[in-house]
Amino acid sequence: MNGTGAWAAGSGGGDGRHRPGGAAAALASRASSIPAALASRASGTAMTSGQAPDVRDEPACDHNRRKSAAQKRAGCPRPKPGAAAGGCAFDGAMITLVPITDAAHVVHGPIACAGHSWDGRGSRSSGPELYRRGFTTDLSEQDVVFGGEQKLFDTVIEVVRRHRPAAVFVYSTCVTASIGDDLDAVCRAAARRCGVPVVPVPSPGFAGSKNMGNRLAGEALLRHVIGTQEPAYTTGYDVNLVGEYNIAGELWDVEPVLSKLGIRVLACVSGDARYRDVASAHRADATMVVCSRALVGLARGLHERYGIPWFEGSFFGVRAMGHALRGFATLLNRGDGVFAARAEELIAAEEAAVSVALAPYRERLAGAKAVLYTGGNKSWSVVSALQEIGIEVVASGATKSTEDDVDKIHELLGPGGRVIVDGTPAKLLDLVRETGADLLVAGGRNQYTALKGRLPFLDINQERHVPYAGYAGVVELARRADLALSNPVWAHVCRPAPWDRPVGVG
Amino acid sequence: MARVVAGRGRGAIDPLKLGAPLGGALVFLGLARAIPVMHGSQGCASFAKALLTRHFREPIPLQTTAVTEASAVIGAGDLLATAIDTVRARFHPEIVGLLTTGLTEVNGEDVAAELRSYVDSIESGGPLVVGVSTPDFTGGLSDGYAAALEALIRAVPLDPPPGAPGAAGGPGGPGPTAILAGPELSSVDIDEIADLVTAVGLDPIVVPDISGSLDGHLDTGWSPLTTGGTRRDDLRRLGGCTRIAAIGGATAAAAEALSERTGAPVAHFGHVCGLTATDEFVAYLLDESCWSTSAGRDGAQRPVPDRARRWRARLADGMLDAHFTLGGARVALALEPDQLYGVATLLREVGAEIVTAVAPQAAPVLAEVPCDEVIIGDLADLEERAREAGAGLVLAGSHARAIAERIGAAYLAIGFPVYDRLGAGLRGTAGYAGSLRLLVDAANVLLDRASEDHPAHRPTPATQRDAGRRSDPLEESIC
Repeated sequence: MNGTGAWAAGSGGGDGRHRPGGAAAALASRASSIPAALASRASGTAMTSGQAPDVRDEPACDHNRRKSAAQKRAGCPRPKPGAAAGGCAFDGAMITLVPITDAAHVVHGPIACAGHSWDGRGSRSSGPELYRRGFTTDLSEQDVVFGGEQKLFDTVIEVVRRHRPAAVFVYSTCVTASIGDDLDAVCRAAARRCGVPVVPVPSPGFAGSKNMGNRLAGEALLRHVIGTQEPAYTTGYDVNLVGEYNIAGELWDVEPVLSKLGIRVLACVSGDARYRDVASAHRADATMVVCSRALVGLARGLHERYGIPWFEGSFFGVRAMGHALRGFATLLNRGDGVFAARAEELIAAEEAAVSVALAPYRERLAGAKAVLYTGGNKSWSVVSALQEIGIEVVASGATKSTEDDVDKIHELLGPGGRVIVDGTPAKLLDLVRETGADLLVAGGRNQYTALKGRLPFLDINQERHVPYAGYAGVVELARRADLALSNPVWAHVCRPAPWDRPVGVG
Repeated sequence: MARVVAGRGRGAIDPLKLGAPLGGALVFLGLARAIPVMHGSQGCASFAKALLTRHFREPIPLQTTAVTEASAVIGAGDLLATAIDTVRARFHPEIVGLLTTGLTEVNGEDVAAELRSYVDSIESGGPLVVGVSTPDFTGGLSDGYAAALEALIRAVPLDPPPGAPGAAGGPGGPGPTAILAGPELSSVDIDEIADLVTAVGLDPIVVPDISGSLDGHLDTGWSPLTTGGTRRDDLRRLGGCTRIAAIGGATAAAAEALSERTGAPVAHFGHVCGLTATDEFVAYLLDESCWSTSAGRDGAQRPVPDRARRWRARLADGMLDAHFTLGGARVALALEPDQLYGVATLLREVGAEIVTAVAPQAAPVLAEVPCDEVIIGDLADLEERAREAGAGLVLAGSHARAIAERIGAAYLAIGFPVYDRLGAGLRGTAGYAGSLRLLVDAANVLLDRASEDHPAHRPTPATQRDAGRRSDPLEESIC
């Protein structure tokens, strides 16, 4: 059992763990797998120098598993020229790794790649601010002709000299991959010279979508980072979060809940992360993949190499939080059921508190209808969260969602609910009109779709500034939804201009 | 006047430079019912789109040919055709701007030829498709803007030039006035310039004109194309133009191209920022419209020039008010070349000292900036030099906010991108009214700090931002 299956197992409790055998077996397999992993890393580096690893075939992705041989050969769906939305693989790699806040992130490419993206996301840090700086080789035409390796080397050395980072991540881009710069060799040489880890991340944008970049970043971590350092101490209840970016500080609403159970987040890939924590992620006792299909490969790698069991879940909504806590309780179970019992106690207490806090909002939001357009397993976890705050979800998107995700959407929406197939702005607005929805809940890309249609809007994706995760986040979601719907501005901007009013009226 | 020097070193730390394709896209975003398409991987367009959206707080029409690994190697010509076909079928644009990127320039494709064969293959009556070479590794935003504007001017079908059989006008005649607008001009700047031209009785065609497309207006709904901007029939009417005013160095090449095609004379204006430069622009307009500066010959049109007169008087008065605050203020600027030139000139008019000036890439105009030295560099250069120079005021895009905080200087967000303030698309920076707006805002951020930093109200040690901070030069100028 694997992947999203763990979600169902988490709710049922009991079987379906990834750990082969008990805790002792896991420790044994982990101990033996470390040297093997190091060996494979060394040889892997030599063999695939400067090339993207083969991340197109992800065995832990059930979506991938269900494909026919022909479908697998065709690979992931290609973006449609002239009708594509969303970022490239380089974007995805940066999203995954840049929140390692004490590292310097150096982009090896022409100006646009870093120049248009640096400090562009809402991933927050409780300490170092280095990750918010923009570092790039800013390739010139001359570099393109003569090669950019020396410039990359010099840039890394200068960055280390000026900023003393815990590590340097170096991202290749379309142009530097095309001209054949040897990323691995330069990184090795720079690491030797400056004495800090310099991690190559082969991430040319043309390798695919953002999801592909997430995967390439996960692969780089497995290959070069995880297992290279040891944590200062372990608790026996250390966990990794994969695919949690601490957008608007969301992690800080989740961590306190986990710590009430005695769970420590060892490494968060990547939100408010430190290089050492990520490098010692192999010592965790469990991994949770948060809202991300793209990073299951990292969780699988942690399982295969270090025997760390994993499950998938979400922090959006009361129901999802319950599943997440139960998922951890099951994986961290010592065989006596004590941990699971404590988790149930905590869930009951938190749910009771949230229920009280939500009561006034549920009353105010009763009867409100929303169209949700987001992707991945957020497409069902946010449905659940919106329903919990009293909003009826009349349609939900399902891009990047798996078959399981879609099944859950259907289950949650009921017979009248619609799964959105065409998410272009015009179609979304049509759907809102047809369903009589009062609110569009979507990513920042659709903010202006809603505003130009004079429709209240709630941003649920990565660019937002409001945290919606954890139990505190559900209450915040209710507050924001209420603010959006009850704002007097809609009545004002919907008034006809004086010259558009019928004669003799008003 | 300025010595132009290279910055700190290789690579960039906190880049100031932006990609040429983004600059090129801005030109097409100022044309009506248009959409730019970037010929590169998805990220080229999505990053640019995200940045433009954050700045203008508007939906930005921008598409991509979505080049993937295989097509990067075997050629992406079919993707180019597919992308434009798709955009045409779905959105029915009147103008499509195709911008190359680093990726499609580095693999040696003959994009121009591919585009020519595509354009030849489509039936007449389709959109105007303009190809622009904008490799990311050559130049920056202003260069891409310049290239796209020139490509547009060379490609657009024009009415017959003045003097040709059947054409209206002729040099100095009653034909329209082409105003080529640089990327530094905001929507309200363009409004003011167009109003001035109209006020003296001339007929302006502003190219590109973001005042109708990126000004932030609530229309009847969402549109996949630009919702305003220079109309295609106005572009055609450029053929009959009898004079060309090129504002900013980024429009110079396009102005020459238009002049070649029409025979109309070009007047170059480095900027129209500040009293003197705006006066020069207005004097030019008055000369062109055969008005005397004392009184119009047509009494019926006098109320409109009165507006200009009033705004000029307000600017002059505002400069006097602001000179107490800005006089002697030590200012650091990091802006695109033309805007750097304009803003530095404006601030010098009230006695501010430009102690640090950083531009993202070279441009001929940088030698004219009224300061000792212009650095071609990044925001790390800005931080280093501004700290050394004891700058008390930083004018730059939003990325410089953290730098201003670190060096303890006041900060005013101008340029691109500005995402930490509302109203970036409507910030005035040029003409009489826009210059006044900028001066007032610059003085106000200094005044905010002046009250914070008054010697009688020193912050307690616990709230002091940075022990190594230099004393605020304002204290010397004000006290």
